[in-house]
Amino acid sequence: MRSMVTKPLSRRGFLAALGGLATLPAFSGSTLAESLLSREASEGVPLFVSAYKLENGDYGVGVVDDLGQVLARITLPGRGHGVAISPDKTRFVAFARRPGTFAVVVRPFQDVAPEVLTAEAGRHYYGHGCFSADGKLLYAVENDYATARGVLGVYDMSGRQVQRIGEIETHGIGPHDILLAPDGRTLVVANGGIMTHPDKGREKLNLDTMAPTVVFVDRETGDLLASHALDASLHQLSLRHMALDGQGRAWVGGQFEGPETDLPPLIGVFSKDEAPILTEIPTGIASGLQNYIGSVTANASGDVIATSAPRGGQTLFWNADTGAFLGAEAIADGCGVAPIDQGSFLISDGNGALSLVSDPAQPAEILARPPGISWDNHMFALS
Amino acid sequence: MRRLLFAVLAVGAVTIQPAFATDYEPKLDNLIEAYIRPQTSAFAETAAKLPDVVRGVCAKADAASVETFEAVYSETLRDFAHVHFLRFGPLIDNDRLSRLAFLPDPRGITQRQIRKVLASEDKDALSADTLKDKSVAVQGLTALELLAFDKDSAVRLGQAGDDKAFTCGYALAISENLAAMAGEIAGGWQDPDGYSAVLLTAEGGNERFHTSKEALESVFNALVTGLIIARDQDVLPALGTGRDKAKATRFPFSRSGNSVVYLVGEMRGVQEALASLDLMDLTPNDFTWIYNAVDFEFDNAIGLLETLEPPLRQSFEEGDAYDKVAVLAITLKSLRDTIALELAGALNLAGGFNALDGD
Repeated sequence: MRSMVTKPLSRRGFLAALGGLATLPAFSGSTLAESLLSREASEGVPLFVSAYKLENGDYGVGVVDDLGQVLARITLPGRGHGVAISPDKTRFVAFARRPGTFAVVVRPFQDVAPEVLTAEAGRHYYGHGCFSADGKLLYAVENDYATARGVLGVYDMSGRQVQRIGEIETHGIGPHDILLAPDGRTLVVANGGIMTHPDKGREKLNLDTMAPTVVFVDRETGDLLASHALDASLHQLSLRHMALDGQGRAWVGGQFEGPETDLPPLIGVFSKDEAPILTEIPTGIASGLQNYIGSVTANASGDVIATSAPRGGQTLFWNADTGAFLGAEAIADGCGVAPIDQGSFLISDGNGALSLVSDPAQPAEILARPPGISWDNHMFALS
Repeated sequence: MRRLLFAVLAVGAVTIQPAFATDYEPKLDNLIEAYIRPQTSAFAETAAKLPDVVRGVCAKADAASVETFEAVYSETLRDFAHVHFLRFGPLIDNDRLSRLAFLPDPRGITQRQIRKVLASEDKDALSADTLKDKSVAVQGLTALELLAFDKDSAVRLGQAGDDKAFTCGYALAISENLAAMAGEIAGGWQDPDGYSAVLLTAEGGNERFHTSKEALESVFNALVTGLIIARDQDVLPALGTGRDKAKATRFPFSRSGNSVVYLVGEMRGVQEALASLDLMDLTPNDFTWIYNAVDFEFDNAIGLLETLEPPLRQSFEEGDAYDKVAVLAITLKSLRDTIALELAGALNLAGGFNALDGD
């Protein structure tokens, strides 16, 4: 099981090559792993990527399956955040949490060392990025902090080494999440609106004047195609995390920086040519969320959206077509959400659990709780 | 195995503590001395009896040896329940926790894998030395339960049959493996240079923690997680969405009729571990009521559990057993909220990883 393979690997090879990437493959050489291998021969195994913190204090990013087996562990120099997965699912880029300056390119199915990227001078990462449809370019949200200007770093991923080849304006402050629209040409960026400077750590410097937007940008020309802001009364709702629904609209979750006693809407639906629509969170639930949405994810068919609220220990589900609230699932410190199976969600939490939700009217099924791991904010499907 | 390490960027910023910062080391010392060391030692002592009782029931499965096996297995589960929520240090090193008990297991991985081991009479399962390198699912208390008890909670280990020799050999290897791991855990906690030292040198900062408060937060949050596990993982799946959807087989260790022992053990464990910290003197006067309230709720919940008739597989659908467990679930939620929100708030302790400092 531990033998190393030198040529590019299949999934089976990925497991066999664990010794290369993993610092502690919990199940390697086990019959649990063998049962996975035999299953892989006939069907794809659901695999997920997430940043984490280990009980010993180390940060990392790993690949985990739905049995909770952490199949690859890559130690990071600090806390990670989001992950951009290549369209062919053979590589991913894990970004430092803001205001971090590292990112790593990981090829989990090959026995090669991850490539470490360091932010350009005068820039830091915000924690998210996305690939172009052909996988050749990577767009990373970054802060040009001397001028408090949001930019997209453009990286050429096609060569032997990653090259930063330019940047695009995000037309806002504090860009956070980024998506590639279904047309393959438009980038959707959530400008969270919050000004920070690395000299001040994570301190928020402009809460009185912040003006978040969701912008649509042409990735080839850099042109601003549309910019949507919410009503002025909601200017302190930082628009941060996004997912595309089946119709290509961006569902955006926010965190509210205004008075704690306010209960503003936290989730909006944005499209290039239409005014934003805000969803209505039932009052009994809204009051417990502490005005904070952590992750936004669509299921595989794009007809259900999950929005996690870790401070409230709730994940909310929405009908993507109608915007109707479908229900909520109580998961303590649950934040990472990834699509699994035909229409379900896998939710990761800070207490190590991976919970399956197929129907918000049923209790979540805890599939696994690998000891010693706290899953970080976001989880992404790798298969 | 090659371990990839990245050059660590300069993240070692010195945390300057205000002059009035509380030193939590005495509290951590309380927990270690009054709870963790005695309880991990007790677990090691009971687990050490397992190999002999497996030998006994395998040599002659009469009423006395069966009863002794049942009693020792049950005591081992009880003592494991007292420590399983200590998900830091020796319990999680070398995957011990997963190897001690593969939980949760909603997809029945253990059963599937044990079937394979039995069908192939896998020789690696016959010695603790080789068993410990096999799947975590086939080497612990959950595996031993499947081997030793039938689905009606009767001991089948040692019963005559074609597979008796293999099953007994495998059960012995599991019990020796369990005894060894429990011994390692107790030893790890006794070791003054072990994880105790990590917790007890946190004030002023060490490799793991910046402050003793951070160390206290990590153990406090582990106790909260213990309550989350008890409710979300151990109780709710059995309750299902209603009485007609109840599944008593989903209680942990229901097969051996030990669910009540296990649930009581983990609740009592969290209660006593929390009490051992002795945080009263750090708690603002307005909040000291919490300790009595928490004890009252723990005692009520445990009292309620102890009125249930094991095995729950047989009794759960009778009388008011379902309602009692439904109340237990509510109590566990209430306990978790009181401890994780009110008590942690009163003590100014930081909570969940994702909830703490969002992005």
